[in-house]
Amino acid sequence: MSAATQAAPSRPRRSLRTRGRNRFGYLLLAPQMIGFTAVGLVAIVWVIWLSLHDVNVLAGSQDFVGLDNYARILTDPSMITVLPNTFFFVCVLSVAGTVIALLLAVLLNQKLRGIGIFRSIVFIPALVTMVAWALVWSFIVQPEGLLDALLGAVGVEALPWLRGGWLTLVVFAVIQLTKNVGINVMILLGALQAVPQELIEAARIDGAGRVRVLRSVVVPQISPAIMMVFMLMIVGSFKVFEVVMLLTEGGPGVQSSVLAFEIYKQGFLLNDVGYASALAVLLFAVILLLTAALWQARKRVVFHEND
Amino acid sequence: MRRTVGRGANYLVLVLLALVALAPILWMLSASLKTPGEILRYPPTILPEDIRWENYTEVFTLQPFAQQFLNSIVIMALVAVLTLVMSIPAGYALARVRPVAAGAVFLLLLSVIFIPPEATIIPLFQYAAKLGWVDTHYPLIIFTAALVTAPIATFVMRQAFLTLPAEFEDAASIDGSGRWRTMMQIYLPLVRPSVASVVVLSCWYSWNQFLEPLIYLRSPEKLTVPVALTHYEDPLAGPLWGVQMAATTLSVIPVLLVFFLAQRHVVSGLTAGGLKS
Repeated sequence: MSAATQAAPSRPRRSLRTRGRNRFGYLLLAPQMIGFTAVGLVAIVWVIWLSLHDVNVLAGSQDFVGLDNYARILTDPSMITVLPNTFFFVCVLSVAGTVIALLLAVLLNQKLRGIGIFRSIVFIPALVTMVAWALVWSFIVQPEGLLDALLGAVGVEALPWLRGGWLTLVVFAVIQLTKNVGINVMILLGALQAVPQELIEAARIDGAGRVRVLRSVVVPQISPAIMMVFMLMIVGSFKVFEVVMLLTEGGPGVQSSVLAFEIYKQGFLLNDVGYASALAVLLFAVILLLTAALWQARKRVVFHEND
Repeated sequence: MRRTVGRGANYLVLVLLALVALAPILWMLSASLKTPGEILRYPPTILPEDIRWENYTEVFTLQPFAQQFLNSIVIMALVAVLTLVMSIPAGYALARVRPVAAGAVFLLLLSVIFIPPEATIIPLFQYAAKLGWVDTHYPLIIFTAALVTAPIATFVMRQAFLTLPAEFEDAASIDGSGRWRTMMQIYLPLVRPSVASVVVLSCWYSWNQFLEPLIYLRSPEKLTVPVALTHYEDPLAGPLWGVQMAATTLSVIPVLLVFFLAQRHVVSGLTAGGLKS
């Protein structure tokens, strides 16, 4: 920009310079754009195309069926369970994930001796791969596992953790949440440490208590980071896959299944590629709409000093 | 007095928190050394009674685990290289060169970040089949870098280049430095921390991948670590818990080592994108 305005007096030189700039810019963007087009764009167009066809993997045939696969989503009895389950994770993981991360970040933001060690420890589960985390937890919640033993020690009856119903969904939510909370804590901790100390002191002098300072000064100051964590959690909560696959395979029936797992099951275990593609397009559309809506809402919710 | 009590309560909460975070990992360690008989005993023993190191040797005899580990590392390194090759120039172009329609390109890349892998895995598998890439590592390197890690990395690199003053550019061009040299020798060295973040985040994404290798790979000697971990099962008796926990422990230790050696970079890499917006 600045270079273009500097060269403004002599017209031909400016256009030459702008052209050089454009050419250089696109040369730099080329690897990324080629990769994105050849993989991302192709994949998106392809999945939409597949969702409009009845694909027979064995015969290698693909017959156009219009919107039949989408109509099937509406009549598929398992979707009555799968879609609310997916929605459950989106709500619980985004809200609980953000609130818990915020509480932990405030707790870990105190100036205490040895606080650095606790910060590191809270981050450690985030360093274990999701598969390893799910495997360890499946060992913990299996019948007569550690969890049953711990509850038994305080006189609580063992519960059927993995036999479907809301209990299994809650177990999954806990596993997913404990794994990633450390990353969110770090994001919020970074934001907390950037809050100007004078603001907090000014509020204190005005007679605000600790909770009041947090609610009226600190939270508005770090609202962009809170919103970012919330969005990351929403997008991430559609990817509850490893836990479902490794602990219950969505069972019993589809009681503990989610959209992401159904795509895998229909597409690769049952070879119903057309239907799985329709589910994939649905997942994609839902996420795109949600993030667009959140992006709009962000402007209202988030506190900006400058505007 | 009140202060001391408050501090004590704080430490109590922190210690409980640390226990909850570490318990699964400590339980994994303990289980990895137990005998098959002890591992299923109820109530369970906290520490193994007879330590069974054979769990760790069986990790390598039941599957080519060393090879699988190497596969994961090679794939991870190549994803990181490819991500850097795509994201550094792209981030620089979007932040500093700004050719026409740079804003639209940026929005396009931003929207890709939100596509979950499950939404594109079906066409990408068919794509890989057409290219003859099934049971090879190519899709795990090329698809992953092009579709996931490079767009996120471009976002991070753009933010990093944006924070630098434009005066460097003018000064450099007055000194007769070409566009390439300005980018490589003046701007790039200044964003080294972000380059480290990008390396960590792409390595981490690749190392964690499960759905993709599960679908693209077939032969045991081609598998990556996360998929291999799920294969320590006896077809009749179910999971071989001891060996599986030993393998899981082996997969966790190197990451923890890297974390303690380069804590700052690991944290900024894993939180990148969040922190920088």
